[in-house]
Amino acid sequence: MQKAYKLSILYYLAFSLLLIVSAVMLFEHKIGFSFNGVVDYYVGNEDKFIPAKSLVGILKIVLPHIFVFGLLAMVLLHFLVFTEHRYKKSTLVLIYLTFTTALLEMFTPFLIVVGLEFFAYIKLFSFFIFLALILYVSWLLLRSIIKE
Amino acid sequence: MKFTLINNLQKDSAMSLVLKGFLVFILLYLVSDVVVMNSNFGISADKVNTTLFGNEEEYIDPISEASFLEFWHTEIFFIMMILLTLSAIFIRVAKRSRIILTNILMISSISSLIFLPLAYYMSNFFVHLYIFTYFIWHIMALYMILYSFWKLNAKSV
Repeated sequence: MQKAYKLSILYYLAFSLLLIVSAVMLFEHKIGFSFNGVVDYYVGNEDKFIPAKSLVGILKIVLPHIFVFGLLAMVLLHFLVFTEHRYKKSTLVLIYLTFTTALLEMFTPFLIVVGLEFFAYIKLFSFFIFLALILYVSWLLLRSIIKE
Repeated sequence: MKFTLINNLQKDSAMSLVLKGFLVFILLYLVSDVVVMNSNFGISADKVNTTLFGNEEEYIDPISEASFLEFWHTEIFFIMMILLTLSAIFIRVAKRSRIILTNILMISSISSLIFLPLAYYMSNFFVHLYIFTYFIWHIMALYMILYSFWKLNAKSV
């Protein structure tokens, strides 16, 4: 890979890191990292004056994220093809895991709203695992670029 | 990103046209971004300060933290995608100074995105730095678009 393209990828990784930081801050501010915080945000809480979210309301939030999560994961993961990780079985597992956790993160709110509150744990878990996977892929790419 | 592998972009008329079309859209985005930012968020120190911290004399409320974080989060995503594709095209067509110009573009855009929350959470001093870096990366991106466009029309790339 050309040196200049490596530079572009390095900056893309820096942007991804910034995106993760902003996502964590936004999640913490709007929802919070506790089971009750997640349930209150989606199901509502009269004592805290938090209105319940409707299915359409959640879909409106999820809609741009479907495109964004897909694009972000695709761009980041496809860079792995240009590294020594291309033919590894672990790369396939990584790709499956990234897209699966992204799907869980986006669609668990629908299950929480219909009464399956246990999925608040899944929402939190998938949020952190998705971010951790993005960071791990970024680390793999960074290491490959530095090694070459 | 297939265009990064084509030997002579000028000979590949379809790919060249696709890239030119894409460059026009990036140009439109950048111009629209400046216009929308000017009317909503502000591109002068006074206007950005008013948006972030409000103005008692004019009865303007400050932006809420949730709105600010949503704005920042969205900006990061759009800028990262636009600059990744623009820099990929520019690197493909430019021969000289491409590394230094890419560095200036990326460092100024990342800096502007870091100065924005610093201005909101720490000190309004960072507003000036935010505006300065905002214009630097816009001017640099504009130059890269026009240069790429010119090179795609040249005899060989």
